[in-house]
Amino acid sequence: MTKPILHVRNLSVHSGRRTLLDSVSLEIPHGGVFGLIGPSGAGKSTLLKSFNRMLDLTPGLRVSGQVDFHGSPLYHRSVDPDALRARIGMLFQQPVIFPGSIFANVTFGVRHHGTVRRRDLPQVAERALRDACLWEEVKDRLQLPATTLSIGQQQRLCLARTLACSPEVILMDEPTSALDPRSTAAVEELIGCLAKAITIILVTHNHAQAAKVCGRVASLSSGKLEKIRGFDLEKV
Amino acid sequence: MSGVGAGRRFSLTRWASTGFSALALLTLLAIVSLFLWQALPVWKLEGTGFVTREKWFYRQDQYGAAPMIYGTLAVAAVAMILAAPVGIGAAIYCACFLPPRLRLGFKVAIELLAGVPSVVYGLLGILLLRDWVYVALERFDVLSGDSLLTAGILLAVMILPTLITLADDALYHVPLSRRLAARGLGLTCTETILHVTLPHAWRGVLAALLLALGRACGEMIAVFLVVGRQDNQWPEKLWSPRPLIEAGQTLSTKLGSSETNIAYGNPVHWSAIVGVGLLLLFIVTTVTIIGSKVGLLGKRHET
Amino acid sequence: MKRKIIDHLFRAITALCALVAASVLAVIIGAIWRKGASAMSWEFFTVQMKEAGVSGGILYHIAGTAILILTAFLACAPVAISIGLVHGVYLKREHTRRAVMLVLYILNGVPAILFGIFGMMVFVQYLGWGKSWLSGGLLLALMLLPTVTVAIVARIEGIPRGQIEAAAGLGLRQSQIVHAIYLPRSFGGLITGSLVGLARVAGETAPIMFTATIFAGATLPTGIKESPVLSLPYHIFILAQDSFDPAAGSKLWGTALTLLLLVFAFSIIALIPRLKSAVAQHHD
Repeated sequence: MTKPILHVRNLSVHSGRRTLLDSVSLEIPHGGVFGLIGPSGAGKSTLLKSFNRMLDLTPGLRVSGQVDFHGSPLYHRSVDPDALRARIGMLFQQPVIFPGSIFANVTFGVRHHGTVRRRDLPQVAERALRDACLWEEVKDRLQLPATTLSIGQQQRLCLARTLACSPEVILMDEPTSALDPRSTAAVEELIGCLAKAITIILVTHNHAQAAKVCGRVASLSSGKLEKIRGFDLEKV
Repeated sequence: MSGVGAGRRFSLTRWASTGFSALALLTLLAIVSLFLWQALPVWKLEGTGFVTREKWFYRQDQYGAAPMIYGTLAVAAVAMILAAPVGIGAAIYCACFLPPRLRLGFKVAIELLAGVPSVVYGLLGILLLRDWVYVALERFDVLSGDSLLTAGILLAVMILPTLITLADDALYHVPLSRRLAARGLGLTCTETILHVTLPHAWRGVLAALLLALGRACGEMIAVFLVVGRQDNQWPEKLWSPRPLIEAGQTLSTKLGSSETNIAYGNPVHWSAIVGVGLLLLFIVTTVTIIGSKVGLLGKRHET
Repeated sequence: MKRKIIDHLFRAITALCALVAASVLAVIIGAIWRKGASAMSWEFFTVQMKEAGVSGGILYHIAGTAILILTAFLACAPVAISIGLVHGVYLKREHTRRAVMLVLYILNGVPAILFGIFGMMVFVQYLGWGKSWLSGGLLLALMLLPTVTVAIVARIEGIPRGQIEAAAGLGLRQSQIVHAIYLPRSFGGLITGSLVGLARVAGETAPIMFTATIFAGATLPTGIKESPVLSLPYHIFILAQDSFDPAAGSKLWGTALTLLLLVFAFSIIALIPRLKSAVAQHHD
């Protein structure tokens, strides 16, 4: 079996006296879509945010245990969280659009990484928008404000923005809950396409969506890992 | 005061409230009208010369307020140049970098600082600042540490808390989702502040600056104690720094001086004093109105 | 890497700015404490001034300041609540409401000395009161008004719409709703706003120096006309000017320290409810 891209080892997260995650261990393989399901407050988002160290940005959290990315521990002094977040991207439930044009939005992240030259940005933007299946709809109006897009388009724009950074993993926190059914279907199809090259970890409370889109699903409850579909009831 | 009575349309509470509110409004109008009316004689005497002439000799019925306008603006400018970077920097640190408990502590400290009375600042200005400035400027042949510069430095310290609180509020209220989205893309904290937080909150920060400027222009007591209160200090060259290190007079310090008491007997002299007050009112109100409008624009931009 | 260096540098510079601001507070408190603590004693607070401030205490200065701020509060409270109610309940158009707030902001920005000049014209001369504690109190009330009103307006705006609708649904008339819901909520804002505002107003010299206070020769007021009071800030202001007797030195600093403590006490008490709610939020 190939090594997992992300390996969670006895991860626990506490906030004051509340336990958000309780000794969770699991492995996430390369490629494909890995789902995290469970009721509200089960800890799915917390687990998701542990992968790209977004937990660092919430004050008052205590993290113990470890998460390995390509075998190297992430919760370690030597790790630069900002550089990590360029490799592990994130899509939020509500699309967040920055003021400015569609082009400015797509290139918002990659512009700062210093990995792409200014004159190559338009190409990078086009590729990202194509991968997000948005290119045809916006190619003639890249300079228009991004607020003119519909919410389904905005979410795909956010995805394009993340893709422009060429991440290896994309974390998605209930990406379709704010969308109408048609946009939801479009995004689900998109996820399927992307998962061939990128590892996607999807948090969803919709079991039907999980069944449709995910290759493997882990279910959480009250901060604890319950079971992983595809395996027997033994925990990893 | 009770407005109870089933079936009665008349509400004492409503009438009392409207009455008191009208009273407040009338008082404000009364202040403005009274000032305008009382300042008429000097306007008749000097016309626009009141604002442009440089000599103020009340015994000879000469009333030129230009040096005082210069003094007010110079002192305010020094204060803003010193306070703005420090204030905005501190506000950024407080809103973006400090963990919650420390932020609370810092805001408490700033709130306390905001309450320190002007006379206490003035006292410390006399005790500490004046001597430091004198020592620093000795080689320029200054007479004492009382100068426009000293007043400006003191004012900078005084407007710092107001500036920090208002700017911090504006920065802190930038939606968390935006900041997290930027961090999620791999932007550093600084990049997020420069490219997301500040662009979103700049109107609020500008409003904070304007309101601090208004306060700097109107402050009297602290400036009074360290500015030297020397009339007719009109700079030969407007942009030269020399007048800053000499004593001066501002619109507010003239009003606070003993001349105000002397002036009352003489209609023209008194109207000149009120005219100075009117000028000050005009400058400060303009700045306050612009600041409020910008602040409102900022709040509307958020929603 | 360049980005990291810029990040650290920016963080350091802004931290320095915050440190400068915080250290200003330390310098102020430190200097005044050091010079004024020696004057603090029970006697200092309970004995009146002697020899133009060189000896004796500040009994009547504290009394004078207390009278001024009490008057300011009593005069301001009904007006502030009125404006709060008018803004939150009686005014229908957003346009007018914004005008009200703008007027309050303008009033808040008016320099203190202009209130003093205004008071001179109206109270001292036109009404013939001479210097009077009442003029000072009323002028300070004007200065206090915006702070208190804004606090009340904020409280009223925080009333959940559901409560109002529920009350209306139960058949209460507007005046009854005002009494049952709006007024009680306003009192909280009145108290917090007043504490914050009085902290600022207690230390004001400019509005009272021509209208209400003198340096020596007064104890407690005996009526309205020609009844000035002594006050802490004016005492400091006079003693601070060029010719102050070094012998009066520590008394001067003691007065400054007293004023500072008074102002801080008001500010801290005003902060307590805000601090409590902020700490509570973080325990979720």
